[in-house]
Amino acid sequence: MRLFAVVLATTVAATPLAAQQTIGQPAGNFRLTDVSGKNVSLADYRGRPVVIEWNNPGCPFVQKHYNSGNMQKTQAQARAGGAVWLTVNSSAPGKQGHMTPAEAQAFVASAKATPTNYLLDPKGVVGKGYGAKTTPHLYIVDGTGRLVYQGGIDDKPTSNASDIAGARNHVLAALGEMKAGKPVSVAETRPYGCSVKYAE
Amino acid sequence: MRLIHFVLMTLAMLLVLPAAAQAPGERHVAIELVPETAVPRAGGEVQLAFVSRPQPGWHGYWKNPGDAGVETTAAWTLPAGVTAEPIAYPVPHRLLIAGLMNYVYEGPFTQFVTLKLAAGLAAGTALPVSVKLDYLVCTNEVCVPESATLQTALTVGDGAVAPDRRAQFDEWRRALPKPLGSPATYAVENGLLRIAVPFPASADAADPYFFPLTDGVLDYAAPQTVTREGDTLLIETAAKTGRPARLEGVLATGGRGFAVAAAPGVVASASGGGAADLGTLFLALGGAVLGGLLLNIMPCVFPILSLKALSLAKGGGAGARGEAVAYTAGVVLVCLALGAALLALRAGGASVGWAFQLTDPRVIFVLLLLVTAIAFNLAGLFELAAPAAANRLAGEGRGGAFGTGALAAFVATPCTGPFMGAAMGTALLLPWWGALAVFGGLGLGLALPFLLIGFVPALRRALPKPGAWMATFRHVLSIPMFATALALAWVLGRQAGVDGMTLGLAAAALLAAGLWWTGVRQGRGRGAAWVPGAVAALLALAVTTTITRAPVQATEVAGGERFSEQRLAELQASGRPVFAYFTADWCVTCKVNEKAVIETADVRAALKGGEVATLVGDWTDGDPALGRFIERHNRAGVPLYLWYKPGSATPEVLPQLLTRAMLMDRAGGS
Repeated sequence: MRLFAVVLATTVAATPLAAQQTIGQPAGNFRLTDVSGKNVSLADYRGRPVVIEWNNPGCPFVQKHYNSGNMQKTQAQARAGGAVWLTVNSSAPGKQGHMTPAEAQAFVASAKATPTNYLLDPKGVVGKGYGAKTTPHLYIVDGTGRLVYQGGIDDKPTSNASDIAGARNHVLAALGEMKAGKPVSVAETRPYGCSVKYAE
Repeated sequence: MRLIHFVLMTLAMLLVLPAAAQAPGERHVAIELVPETAVPRAGGEVQLAFVSRPQPGWHGYWKNPGDAGVETTAAWTLPAGVTAEPIAYPVPHRLLIAGLMNYVYEGPFTQFVTLKLAAGLAAGTALPVSVKLDYLVCTNEVCVPESATLQTALTVGDGAVAPDRRAQFDEWRRALPKPLGSPATYAVENGLLRIAVPFPASADAADPYFFPLTDGVLDYAAPQTVTREGDTLLIETAAKTGRPARLEGVLATGGRGFAVAAAPGVVASASGGGAADLGTLFLALGGAVLGGLLLNIMPCVFPILSLKALSLAKGGGAGARGEAVAYTAGVVLVCLALGAALLALRAGGASVGWAFQLTDPRVIFVLLLLVTAIAFNLAGLFELAAPAAANRLAGEGRGGAFGTGALAAFVATPCTGPFMGAAMGTALLLPWWGALAVFGGLGLGLALPFLLIGFVPALRRALPKPGAWMATFRHVLSIPMFATALALAWVLGRQAGVDGMTLGLAAAALLAAGLWWTGVRQGRGRGAAWVPGAVAALLALAVTTTITRAPVQATEVAGGERFSEQRLAELQASGRPVFAYFTADWCVTCKVNEKAVIETADVRAALKGGEVATLVGDWTDGDPALGRFIERHNRAGVPLYLWYKPGSATPEVLPQLLTRAMLMDRAGGS
């Protein structure tokens, strides 16, 4: 185990991350390139809530929320409330959902998605650093840089779009509570979906 | 072009895929709904089997899918008076993909649902049953959510089950986890989750793994370390933040599964888990040094050591000390390197401790061959090339001494197998630095006599001159080695049956013949004399693949007959009181009751005095017929104790914790 920890630490040395993030603790900082070639760092958005969404357009569970417009609606509502939305794609080259910057741009346009930035993480360094396991998998970092939510987008772990109507949207609920100055009541849930298609 | 193609593909994927995935006939899992009986009894129940066959390369998910995936959901359309229980899942497999753990079924699997019928249903009532299953099926690359709507038509009847259907269901049901019967305990400390599961020391536990049902308590992808201490099986793995009042899961071992529920509590750490166990560490260290010391008189080390020692005796003070230190360094470094390699292998995911391996007949077989070869070497049948190499190294100062030490330690390792197994097992239970200290201690012990010879001139002068006595001494040493081989053959016979033991002895004989030929060639000074021996060794090792564990025989318990319903009926008809008890090798409570109550002299005497017939049902293999009998007495598993008074068809179900008085009173009073 320790041996592995050392190997992992060496691999991840470029970005100081633990293998998993803890609610209430400062979220690990990272820097990734977005689809337009811009370098984006989590710390750039200090002072505002940041939602981080793990994405793989080929995954049926992602399609459930994009085809129904639920993810786009959540993005728009979060941004309208002053939050930053970072969509991260950790699919490795050759795996489902991997995209070049141009392909990712085309996906964002065709899906009418409105993330602040769509970030590419083909080596999976940030995904593994955050312990992102599924697509979708969502995280919220508050204005002080602390992690306040991690888990699924809602509480209906199915691929059926008709389940969205009756589901509790954990992300919007958490952002609403933060706005009202209340603690996030549901801070950790079980994410559901396809596994993140990391490099072996 | 590529971009346009991609956009089109993505759009197609977004729009078409969900529909395509659910089109009939396109599914990646063929599911068949089979009822155990089509004519269930009113007031009774019927099991429905979902017989699933994923396409090659595809896998379905367990109730807890692991890091990703979803469980199967069932939406039932049932007639009035019929209710469905939750889905029962067979024991899953592990599938680790890119660091994410999946709990899956990669081959055919069968899930069960029990339907309960209300008592008031009239015979002949048609019961159309329909269910829509939503489930996820994946390859290592892609996932597809699928739906299947399945129907079956039941009619209220007499509940009769066709024998072939029952046999088929019994086979499927073997894959379901059995209730373990005794509660487990868990504790979290410093990010480490420890679960103590009651499991008899005498029961085999090959490749154990804890599949958690409760989410958020442990890291699924983290390796699990399993150790056994007495009647406890201890699972250690990385904890997460959840601390539920009940941690549920399935302990899988050797193709079987046991449903485990653990409550928070105190769990003793594995030996040497922390600073509190420094005592254990020193004890293990002391044992290792002593063991290393003993290794000096072991067959493979003694010739090397004696040659080196005698060469040192000729030299003077400072040179001798330097060489002794260099030799010690060589020995200790090789021991540390071998130990580190072993620990690294273990960290790499081998989830078992050293002691488990000795339960594998193939390991015993390889040890048998090794010990046989060493014994024949000692007896003088052939020579190892090692002494010649050591000789060459002997004269060349500190570098040579270091090399000799490294060689001695390396050649000694086979000898550590049979004799040091226990010490190594202890070492692997220690934290890594403790384990390395023990391996280092083994090296130090091995080097100790040489170190003394180097630093104490009087010892050097007292050394006997090399001569013919050494050969005789070696031949004498072969006797205990042959005895060891004999013991190993016996163990092999216990584990793999008469056939396995015969194969082992045949392989040993083949090896001996090869080694004899090598010895003959060596005697004539031929080149490449080792060839026949090596060929024979390879052939003998090839036999390993044919060694399999013998099927478990039903163990006869003193004073007890094997249980069968037929025998029970016969005994009841004869008018004798009958005590029937149901047990399994993996059931701690059962074993405690047997040792402390049933098998005690006074209880046996009382049973004998009261002419009580004792029947024993062994559920170790999860025999479904026995399982059904146990279930009829409202128990999900063992232990179960039944007392049949003469003339009474319904037994008295005794408590799971027996006392001697319970049995003696009944035996005396009946």
